Amino acid sequence: MHPFVLMFMIFGLPAVIALAWVFTRGGDALRRYIVTRVALTLPMVVILVSVVFVVLRVMPGDVVSSTLGPKATDIARETIMEELGLDRPLIVQYGTFLRDVFTLDLGNSFVGARRPIIDELGERLPATLELIIPAALFALITGIYLGTRAAVRRKRPSDYGLRMYSVIVYSMPIFWLGLLLRLVFSVWLDWTPIAGRIDVVTNTTLERTTNLLVVDSILTANWSALGSALHHMVLPALTLGLVLSGVFLRLTRINVIETLQEDYVVAARARGIRKRAVTYSYALKNAMIPVVTVIGLQVAILLAGAVLTETVFNWPGMGRYLVQRISSRDFQAVQSTVAVFALFVALISLAVDVVYSVLDPRVKY
Amino acid sequence: MAHDRPRIDIPDWERELERVGFARRLLRARKWYGADWWFVAISSLMVVGFLLLAAFPQVFAKYDPLDLVGPRLLAPGERPNQEVLILREDSEFESIADFEPDVRTRVAVVIDTPSSEAARDAADVATEERAAAGLEGRIRLEILRIETLDEALDSLLNGEAVAVVASSSAFGEVDAGYPDLVIAGPVSTLEQDATSFPLGTNQVGQDVLSRLIWGARIAILIGFSAAILSFVIGIPLGLIAGFAGGKLDRILTLIMDSIYAFPGLILAIAITAVLGPSILNIIAAIGVLYIPTYYRVVRGQTLSAKQELYVEAARSLGARPRAILGRYIFPNVIPSVAVIFSVNVADAILTGAGLSFLGLGLPLDIPDWGIDLARGQEFIRSAWWLITFPGLAVMLVVLAFTMMGEGLVEIFNPKLRRK
Amino acid sequence: MNRAHKLVALLFAFALIAAACGDDDATTTTAAPATTTTAAPTSSTEGTTTTEASGPTTIIIGTTDVISSLDSADAYATADWELIKAFNEPLLRFQPGSNSVLEPGIASLPVASEDGLSWTVTLRAGLTFGDGTPLTVEMAVDQLNRLLNTELQASAPNQVGNTLAAPYVESIEAVGDNMIRFNLLGPAGFFPQILAGAPYTIAHPDIFAAEEMNLLPEAPIYGLGPWTITSLVTGEQTVLEPNPFYDGMYPAQVDRIIVQRFSSPSAMADAVREGEIDVAWRILGAEAADDLRSVEGLHVETIPQAPIRYLIVNHSQGRVTALPAVRQALAAAIDRDELSDVVFGGAVTPLLSPVPPGFLGANAAFEDAYQSPNIQLARELLMSAGYSEVAPLQIRLGYPPEHYGVTTADGVLLVAQQWEATGMIEVETIGQEWSTYVSACTNGTVYDVCVLGWFFDFPDAENYLQPFIEGDGLGTMVLCPNPACEGVTAPNIDPRLGELLLEQRAETNLDARAALIEELQDVYAQEVVTIPLWLEPEFIIYWDWISGDPNLPNQRTLNIGPDFEFIYSVLTVNR
Repeated sequence: MHPFVLMFMIFGLPAVIALAWVFTRGGDALRRYIVTRVALTLPMVVILVSVVFVVLRVMPGDVVSSTLGPKATDIARETIMEELGLDRPLIVQYGTFLRDVFTLDLGNSFVGARRPIIDELGERLPATLELIIPAALFALITGIYLGTRAAVRRKRPSDYGLRMYSVIVYSMPIFWLGLLLRLVFSVWLDWTPIAGRIDVVTNTTLERTTNLLVVDSILTANWSALGSALHHMVLPALTLGLVLSGVFLRLTRINVIETLQEDYVVAARARGIRKRAVTYSYALKNAMIPVVTVIGLQVAILLAGAVLTETVFNWPGMGRYLVQRISSRDFQAVQSTVAVFALFVALISLAVDVVYSVLDPRVKY
Repeated sequence: MAHDRPRIDIPDWERELERVGFARRLLRARKWYGADWWFVAISSLMVVGFLLLAAFPQVFAKYDPLDLVGPRLLAPGERPNQEVLILREDSEFESIADFEPDVRTRVAVVIDTPSSEAARDAADVATEERAAAGLEGRIRLEILRIETLDEALDSLLNGEAVAVVASSSAFGEVDAGYPDLVIAGPVSTLEQDATSFPLGTNQVGQDVLSRLIWGARIAILIGFSAAILSFVIGIPLGLIAGFAGGKLDRILTLIMDSIYAFPGLILAIAITAVLGPSILNIIAAIGVLYIPTYYRVVRGQTLSAKQELYVEAARSLGARPRAILGRYIFPNVIPSVAVIFSVNVADAILTGAGLSFLGLGLPLDIPDWGIDLARGQEFIRSAWWLITFPGLAVMLVVLAFTMMGEGLVEIFNPKLRRK
Repeated sequence: MNRAHKLVALLFAFALIAAACGDDDATTTTAAPATTTTAAPTSSTEGTTTTEASGPTTIIIGTTDVISSLDSADAYATADWELIKAFNEPLLRFQPGSNSVLEPGIASLPVASEDGLSWTVTLRAGLTFGDGTPLTVEMAVDQLNRLLNTELQASAPNQVGNTLAAPYVESIEAVGDNMIRFNLLGPAGFFPQILAGAPYTIAHPDIFAAEEMNLLPEAPIYGLGPWTITSLVTGEQTVLEPNPFYDGMYPAQVDRIIVQRFSSPSAMADAVREGEIDVAWRILGAEAADDLRSVEGLHVETIPQAPIRYLIVNHSQGRVTALPAVRQALAAAIDRDELSDVVFGGAVTPLLSPVPPGFLGANAAFEDAYQSPNIQLARELLMSAGYSEVAPLQIRLGYPPEHYGVTTADGVLLVAQQWEATGMIEVETIGQEWSTYVSACTNGTVYDVCVLGWFFDFPDAENYLQPFIEGDGLGTMVLCPNPACEGVTAPNIDPRLGELLLEQRAETNLDARAALIEELQDVYAQEVVTIPLWLEPEFIIYWDWISGDPNLPNQRTLNIGPDFEFIYSVLTVNR
């Protein structure tokens, strides 16, 4: 089964079910909101991919050379241009482009063997997911936990310490942090492997279906493959996760502080309610709502960080693919990859918005 | 876990806060804001320091960042080895200046050492001395690049080479095995060939410290310019959208939200890859990314300010929108904008470094931290200083601006102050 | 908060356990029957050898090249050729240790006709593809004719047929039931060398159809060579297993070879250092190779006959470099030694002529002509052309920032500094991305000088000259011929260049040919067709437990075959 299809089933199906559940449960206003919100996703994606189209097609240069190399004959050039549709007016190209994106006809790569891009992305999307999901989990857990601690102990030394941590970690260039971690843990201490997603030989024993190594190795009960995959994942995920934890820490802290200033919390404290613990957990739960929203929107930072992390650790994901393809002027691949990124981002922000609208009693439509 | 006990009593100065002007706030800030004041103070000093470096790099940097001032890959503080000329005992020569002019004399050197350069420089010096003495002819060398010192010395023994140039310490370790070979003397007597560099040299022999200082100029230039670009476009758009409302507002917000949600680096990569490597293009690419940030904040503030009584009053009195925007709304927006600006600069510098790291950045002859980091990767084992210092520099600059923003947030944000 | 505490603790514990489990030394057994248990090289024991009592053997070779085409009628990249010659065998082979002596491949050594216009080879008997399909001479000829099929060539990205078949071969036909005859367009003494290249392998007709290109077929890929490709993940890994039907000179010595791709040379260097791979091959830079010399148990060997780097000079009318004096000044002011020392730490060899040392007729033409770095001569030449310190020569120098590696930028900067040291030249350096760079370089309208590299298609001096000089002018690698480049006027180039090229091509006496090639190089240097810069070494790095065939004569380079080829079959493992 194509990895993309599988991916949609794993992530898409539960999402659709959840959406349906919310839809049936909520009142009229909620339903209207959800419908509007879903409808807004479309223009959002269109705008993003259009920006990409404009940026890439406007460029001065010879797309054809990248395919054919310097020894191309004129006949070959014309054939290729026709094939790629570059001889048609820009407007027609744009229309075709939009149509292709929405039917997920991502075209063929211009470079080398000209494989269908959907295959190339299908191979790489799982790699990116296996990087950003652990990183996000680490960042979320660390960031939210530490951020809450910092907020609750505001103006105390630990607060400042944590704020310094978050600022320092955020200020580090991700690629520098990655290089340093690699130097320390892979080169000097030899605790983690140098590069790649899995040990070379173990790789030959693993049957890949989803191309999510963790999932595949569990499915085939290949425990050494699982171990190898996790072992390789640690450092890249840690790099990305550390930098993000700084961001999440700050966000959590600010939101929790704001919540703690809310009237009802202050009032509860003033009344000396016995179960301060209960008050606090109630308050913090409310604080989490905006935190989750804002963090959900930080997926952009996650993807941007993924590009740099993948480059440093030679992680064969979509981010690295994008950078390589831009270098070789493979427009089709660049357009399609960015379009996939855009879809990704749009879907996640949609999900976050819907969740937020359900959870937060204060939001009015 | 012990829970923090919030104070219910509010100190006098906080109560007065609302009634006090900006200047007074600043002066009394230390007492009022506690450690946050330190955040802002220290980071402001750092920022000023970096701005000075950026404005006057030639004052602080000893060398030109493009000049090849020393041997390659010299460690921080390390002095280059003394290179000596090694000849056979029975050799007719005594120094490089003795070599026959206009004939390529074979000199063997070891690969990846400064010996070859030292030998060639000595030959050039000898040629100049000849010219000064009125003699014709150039001293020329044919350099045989050999993998190990032993092989090079063997080639001297068997006549393949006329001389060997190597470091005196390296030869000292093996000279016992070569009794027929003698050191004729140091290859160079110039003092500058023995200087060390505080942060070492890079892979072509440029001074790392000077490149760091000049790199600050570029980094800060890019950071500020990009931030100003975003500022200049984002704020007016935000003001207009917030004030005018309606369809314009909705469309603009949709566009801005889309750009905001999108991974900035990726968009910047695409833009720079298309436009090509130049400072202006990078500034444009990064600038575009932060427009939505200003837009959103300003629009939000405008929306809430619009509801204030005094604005309503002004409107009913017939004041023109531009006046209202300029006089009432814009000043309220300034504190938030200041915070965003400093964080924006920090982010812009990071993104700029990321872009040059990926190789999509600047043209060759501009010293830049990102490029130094990218090149330094290869030498991660042998020359750790190549990536450590540029990375540290980026971190410190970004840290300075971010800390400043952080601190300002604590000071300015009314919601964070205790009621 | 306690719950959160627990969660965090759990996660850390899980990570630790995972890290402990993820020991790459583990032997693996799986349900899949295709692959069997192997012992992976131990990660942290450098240099120790443990004897492997029995069981299948694997060798892992690291590379940074991406396989882009395995169709022999199309492929034109070194990495592609190498892999093609692993699963398929060309008509002829180069004798290991030499780059000019040929030996039979799947065919005998060729016999030339009286007039030199055709060459005939005899196919070995009993040739069978890896899946059992027997080879017939008609099949062979049909497949070889894919090289001459212009429509087929035009549909492919690399079109090797247009470079290595069409210029020399008129037609290919079967003679009898086991002979193939190549009818040439003109006599060419070096033609047999071309037959030892990957384009002249017989691609399996079921996988590579006669009328259609198949650049990256699905594994398994069968051929007539010692190996079969059993798994191919582009950009990551290729797995080769022995071909049971192979009966040629280089049978497989191990049970499996994995070619693992790394996206950067430093990652590959680290991997070989840690023992994660057994052999590190292309492309490891001089810096990384040097670093690895100090590791115990690791062998680092330099392979000569590698790529050259040179400057293309724009000869077209109206450019500043149209004047011979200007070109000669540029050639005189270059300091190749400095380039080598500063940019590569001395790891590259200065190249003093378009034909590298070791090839027939190679001399040091540029050194004889200019004795560079010769600032004095450069200044004189510039002044004779009307330039001076107050009216300097303005040069636009183009380069590709990533294609040849990051050192290109450093090299270009240094060249600019060297020219500016004359005091009469101002250089503007312009980086341009590779895909558009080459045509910009050769179309005569963008740059005055640009950097380019070249690796031979076949190891003969001809291939270092023909791309740059053609019959009646400059070759397409220097300046596109009119009218392909509009508005560019073809320059007046010394006609002796073209004449000597054709003469040496037709000359069969080696000494006479060498003399002609030398004369050609001297004229080349006077005209400054291109400015050769340096010869880049390549490195092969391998562990103690890897060895080649002790019976092969070349002891210096792991006995892996001819100096520029890597025959995987000769590798053995001793552990």
